[in-house]
Amino acid sequence: MKSTHRLGMGLLAIAAAAGLWATFMRLSQGMMLTNLTSNMAWGMWVAFYIYCIGLSAGSFLMSTLVYVFGMHRFERMGRIALLSALFALLGGLVFVWIDLGHPWRFYKVFTGWQVSSVLAWESLLYIFYIVIICAELWFLMRCDLARQRDDSHGPRRIFYSVAALGWRCPEKPEEREACHVRGMRGVTILGVIGIPIAIGVHGGTGALFAVVAAKPYWFSGLFPIIFLVSALVSGCGLMLFLYSFFGQRDEGFRDMLAGLRSFLIIFIGIDVLLFTSDLLVSNYSAIPGHTEVWRAVIFGHYWYVFWLGQLGLAWLLPVLITSLPATRGDSRWLGGAGACVVAGIVAVRLNLVIPAYLHEQLPGLADSLPDARSAYAYFPSAIEILSTAGLLSLLVLAFIAAWNLLPMFDVTRTSLTIDGNTRGEV
Amino acid sequence: MSSQEDRSTPESGGIFASRRSFLKRALAGATVGSSALLHARGAMATIGAGEKAGSTAEPASIAPSPEAFAEGNALERMRVDLHRAMQKPVADRRWGMVIDLRKCINCRACTVSCVAENALPPGVVYRPVMSEEIGSFPNVRMKFLPRPCMQCENPPCVPPCPVGATYKRPDGVVVVDYEQCIGCRYCISSCPYGARSFDFSEFHEEHAPRITDYETRPNYEYGREHKRVPENRTASPMGNARKCHFCLHRVHAGILPGCVTTCLGGATSFGDLNDPDSLVSRLSASEHVTRLKSELGTSPKVYYLT
Repeated sequence: MKSTHRLGMGLLAIAAAAGLWATFMRLSQGMMLTNLTSNMAWGMWVAFYIYCIGLSAGSFLMSTLVYVFGMHRFERMGRIALLSALFALLGGLVFVWIDLGHPWRFYKVFTGWQVSSVLAWESLLYIFYIVIICAELWFLMRCDLARQRDDSHGPRRIFYSVAALGWRCPEKPEEREACHVRGMRGVTILGVIGIPIAIGVHGGTGALFAVVAAKPYWFSGLFPIIFLVSALVSGCGLMLFLYSFFGQRDEGFRDMLAGLRSFLIIFIGIDVLLFTSDLLVSNYSAIPGHTEVWRAVIFGHYWYVFWLGQLGLAWLLPVLITSLPATRGDSRWLGGAGACVVAGIVAVRLNLVIPAYLHEQLPGLADSLPDARSAYAYFPSAIEILSTAGLLSLLVLAFIAAWNLLPMFDVTRTSLTIDGNTRGEV
Repeated sequence: MSSQEDRSTPESGGIFASRRSFLKRALAGATVGSSALLHARGAMATIGAGEKAGSTAEPASIAPSPEAFAEGNALERMRVDLHRAMQKPVADRRWGMVIDLRKCINCRACTVSCVAENALPPGVVYRPVMSEEIGSFPNVRMKFLPRPCMQCENPPCVPPCPVGATYKRPDGVVVVDYEQCIGCRYCISSCPYGARSFDFSEFHEEHAPRITDYETRPNYEYGREHKRVPENRTASPMGNARKCHFCLHRVHAGILPGCVTTCLGGATSFGDLNDPDSLVSRLSASEHVTRLKSELGTSPKVYYLT
């Protein structure tokens, strides 16, 4: 087990190093290292940007089940959900950053903020969202962090001192409990504020695309909602994966997996329903701008992204695993179902972004632009693939490091309600 | 007045002119052109931020009005129109273009002159010419359609820009502030005409032993010198969204856009749509006029005569 762990970490480290090199190359040589064109303006990086934002919003919304809606059976995954929301968001921001033609001008989004731009609004929301997640994590962990600070030495002590922001936990048990209650109240308030922001973060990311009237494939009121629901699917899948393999195996373990399993099936069901509605409505009129893109998605050159990735990995396989009696009770199978979702949603995101560009804006435009940088075809370059894989590996490594450093489960009390009544001790 | 009529009037028709008067006009035109180019640098500095928000600031002085030579062909007439427009405050002008599809022969001189004028890299084409086969044998013909930026009255590319780098000037031309643009390409995705492209920091001779001077000479879009060298791939307009700007740097120097002056068939007209006496105003009022994707409500200022 230890050697497998070492091998995994080694591979992640190698991939991260390669990804950093690819990212450095891209930053120093510009966008010429991508296979994007003037007509396929957004590609793999944007797909992974919305993938990460979706994972983040989904994870955050899962955390609100505990802290806002009082579903205490999910309490054990609260911190995991918030931490993955934070790291996924940071990953998303890195992907959209390296996709900019002038990455070092990113600050202009704030200094030259435009009220009419969905992207400008999104940038603001991302900041609020990061602040809310960090504040929630701090309220949840402050006493544990303070205790770890007092118990540790050297660099770890510095880390915990910074993370605890100088917080001192009361010594007396009753004061400590009151402190915990106050902390949970803060988390609830932040969670309530965070819900519209998380919906705005990912629904708004969907709206980035949905408002583009020039792309019939995107231009639909359903699009931001599909984004949100598939975010919930991915967030739920990620929680199922993380908790199945790395969660606390206590008496609530099975109960929680069963709950996550049910949520996953419901979210996938809604996702499939919305997708089918969009598919049928878009194709009914047989207007080429709509149908050509859908045909490319389902029967085109990259048909397998839809059939194997979206339909197979993201929807069918997880539903089968979480429904069949032989597999639904096994935590490893359930973890596998979560992993399938997390991997399959990549296909969903790729299919949301890239095919929209395949339809030429005016008939004959593609033939009038013969050079490769104007083409209506795209497959990511080696640098794009390497940087994506590498940055994802780096993100996973950073998440593992944070998981190991931060008190993910080390709570003194788990199930305190807001009024201070203790519901159960772990 | 239809363009057919326009072609046959002595006012516009080069074919009725004698050789001597043609040479006289050509010489005069060349004199005015070079004089205008000498003034160009002064005028260039005024394009951009000063005219962003409804400013009525005048551009720097341009060459004297060539009205004395205006009795010649359509090009000279448009030049006179242009000079007349430039005497007005910027907000009173409304630059527009009329393209007579019956005169377009798909020579692509406009495409090439635009690439040369603006030193366009791979993937950046401001004015492609699209061709479409209509009908079937024996009743078949080719239709050619040059596609510059439509300079929409309601440009869908402007609101999505997160940094306000792209905007509609008071004279109606949609421009890109290269130093403000972060290269997110949202505007490219938002244009229903595919009229925006991205500068991938590439050179046409990327894999050749040497990139020739032709590719490294600067361009003067928006009245500023933009150097383009392979050693610095992050200098704007590299990494920026780019688009047709009706050659504002030429217009502000009293010269017609590159695609207008090089159009072999005389298919492209340019001028001030607010001036009732301008050629484009008269042509755009034709009953044969059409605009691309007018159902979107973008209200393009590029008209097509069919």
